Amino acid sequence: MSVAPARAQPIEAIAGFAALLREHGLKVGIAEHQAMVQAALALPLSGGGAHGGPVWRESRISAAWRAVACHDLRDWRRWPDLFERYWYPGRLKGTVKVSGQTRPSRDLREVVQQLQQSLDGAGAQPPRPGGPAPDAALDDRGGHDDDASLPRAQGGASRTEALHDRSLSMWLPQDLAQLETLAERIAARLRRRLTRRWHDDAHGRRLDLRRTLRASLRTGGVPVQPAWRRPRRERPRLFILVDVSRSMQTHAQLFLRIARAFVQAAGARVFVFHTRLAEVTPLLQRDSAAVQEKVNAVTAGFGGGTRIATSLADFAGVHARAQLGRGARVWVLSDGFDADEPHRLAEQLLRVRGRGGRITWFHPNPARPASAAMQACDGLIERFVPLHRLRDLALAVPLLH
Amino acid sequence: MNAGSEQALREQLEAAGYIADEDLATTLWLAGELQRPLLVEGDAGVGKTALATALARSQGRRLVRLQCHEGLDLSQAAYEWNYGRQLLAIRLSETGAERLREADLFGRDYLLQRPLLQALLSEDPCVLLIDEVDRADEAFEAFLLEMLADHQITVPELGTLHARHVPQAMLTSNGTRELSDALRRRCLYHHLDYPTLAREMAIVKRTLPQTESALVEQAVAFVQRLRREDLGKVPGVAETLDWVRALHRLQFKALPDDPQGLMQTLGCLLKTRDDRFQIGPDRVRNLVEGRRSVGVAEKATA
Repeated sequence: MSVAPARAQPIEAIAGFAALLREHGLKVGIAEHQAMVQAALALPLSGGGAHGGPVWRESRISAAWRAVACHDLRDWRRWPDLFERYWYPGRLKGTVKVSGQTRPSRDLREVVQQLQQSLDGAGAQPPRPGGPAPDAALDDRGGHDDDASLPRAQGGASRTEALHDRSLSMWLPQDLAQLETLAERIAARLRRRLTRRWHDDAHGRRLDLRRTLRASLRTGGVPVQPAWRRPRRERPRLFILVDVSRSMQTHAQLFLRIARAFVQAAGARVFVFHTRLAEVTPLLQRDSAAVQEKVNAVTAGFGGGTRIATSLADFAGVHARAQLGRGARVWVLSDGFDADEPHRLAEQLLRVRGRGGRITWFHPNPARPASAAMQACDGLIERFVPLHRLRDLALAVPLLH
Repeated sequence: MNAGSEQALREQLEAAGYIADEDLATTLWLAGELQRPLLVEGDAGVGKTALATALARSQGRRLVRLQCHEGLDLSQAAYEWNYGRQLLAIRLSETGAERLREADLFGRDYLLQRPLLQALLSEDPCVLLIDEVDRADEAFEAFLLEMLADHQITVPELGTLHARHVPQAMLTSNGTRELSDALRRRCLYHHLDYPTLAREMAIVKRTLPQTESALVEQAVAFVQRLRREDLGKVPGVAETLDWVRALHRLQFKALPDDPQGLMQTLGCLLKTRDDRFQIGPDRVRNLVEGRRSVGVAEKATA
């Protein structure tokens, strides 16, 4: 017995699409959902004059819904894929079709036509509130994406792989978004320092007498609009030193990604070193695929080996001489193997501490670095943080302030 | 409203000197249909502000522009009481016989209208451009919510002022600061990218019709290739127009083979020292010839 595929109700089909968008992180609430229906009604699929081919009409619907459902560049870039995935799963390469299951056919043009017909028939009434719940169409998503009908988690075990549990050497590009969020959280936690400067603030508590008097000139000397100030708090300066020597080869690229996240989130200055030190902050400020290439070019002339103490001396004495003050945070991302004489590293760290810098050492292996140079530095380093997985960075959030 | 209206809007924009693609025309038309503000994001120089200007011109509406900056407050954006005039009225009432009530002092006569209120109370429909909204403070953004969602402004002394005609609001942002979700969700969104080769050629030909066709084609192709370089400040459409205008003034009929001739004019396209340093004569020659560097090797583009 052959059964014709059931027709999806237009409202339900659009609701299913909205649910798919929500699942993928787009903020599509009731207002957006309603606006999508309104847009579909306003842009009829019939007509369109000389340009009115079906492809042209569907692209209009897509453009209109994109303007409604997308709220930032991230959503904007994901739209074409999500639209195709829902309305034209057959066009996607690499989809798996599961036999034995039927799902209501989902034709964009039909959906909009039915929507308009039902509206005409019902005397231009808005979608009925007593009808099937918008999310009912969720169940009709076939095998083209994650099966939403299955429970998300069972007994605490999730079907999705915990991305942050993977080793950093298996890092995928999609983890970068998570890294950026983490960097922003850490940057927000960096304790702001009270300074002696004041700045204008309408909700401040101190009267700015000079500006109040100046403003009162407009009102004949009557201070109608007082001006207020409040003390300025500044975020501590953050310096990140990344070891790019051969022993760190497998980690350096990922550490640079972490450093880049902090350049954008906290305005950090980033240096790379192995036998010498070079600043790479300007190279990390832009989102460019050539970052690693440029960092390689900067460090191309460096010889083999790692000279942490020499690099630190260069850092404290030349590059960060003016900025390394009280409360500055210095994060070193290194395995701690130093080719300099062992006592020199402690000397240089002491120098940084003497200037007021607070040092945190991130090491790529689970165990703390145990080289001879590092053993002499115990009291000088405020904290050791293992950085083997993204979870390590998440766990370190409460410690970094 | 039918699908033809959106096509008509596109043609009107073209007549006003703005060449919009179909998606943008649909979004603009939808913003008008749903009476929702439109948030346009994109790099500097892609034509966000020009879009609002062209929209106003194409529909014969007045453009009310609010340029946002740090520290922008209500008195600069929406309204302000005319204190000088209020004081004068008080002094006059003290000397004269006529007694002045407090309510008289806070009437429409003493209200100075700033761009947002001007747009709201405008006698004719207008286009409201809130330019570079990301430069304003978050507090100002919160104030905009009432205006954009309900088309009204509340003045405590007067009550709520409703729009006579809902202005077609357009907000632009360069991404200096992340905008709040609340503001984003009240707007339709469009991301303007750099124009495609064909569209940019059409823009330049339309704006500078007296320029040689060969020069326009070669110059635009050059700029498109230049945008793929790793530049600090990618040249926008305005820079392309400046450059083609400069080449035209220098009597060029086509791009010269000798890069030295072009180097003097590259100031129109490259606006930072690093970019000027990076794009030397050899690089310019490669870009003119359509060659692209891949690592240390070079290959000709298809």
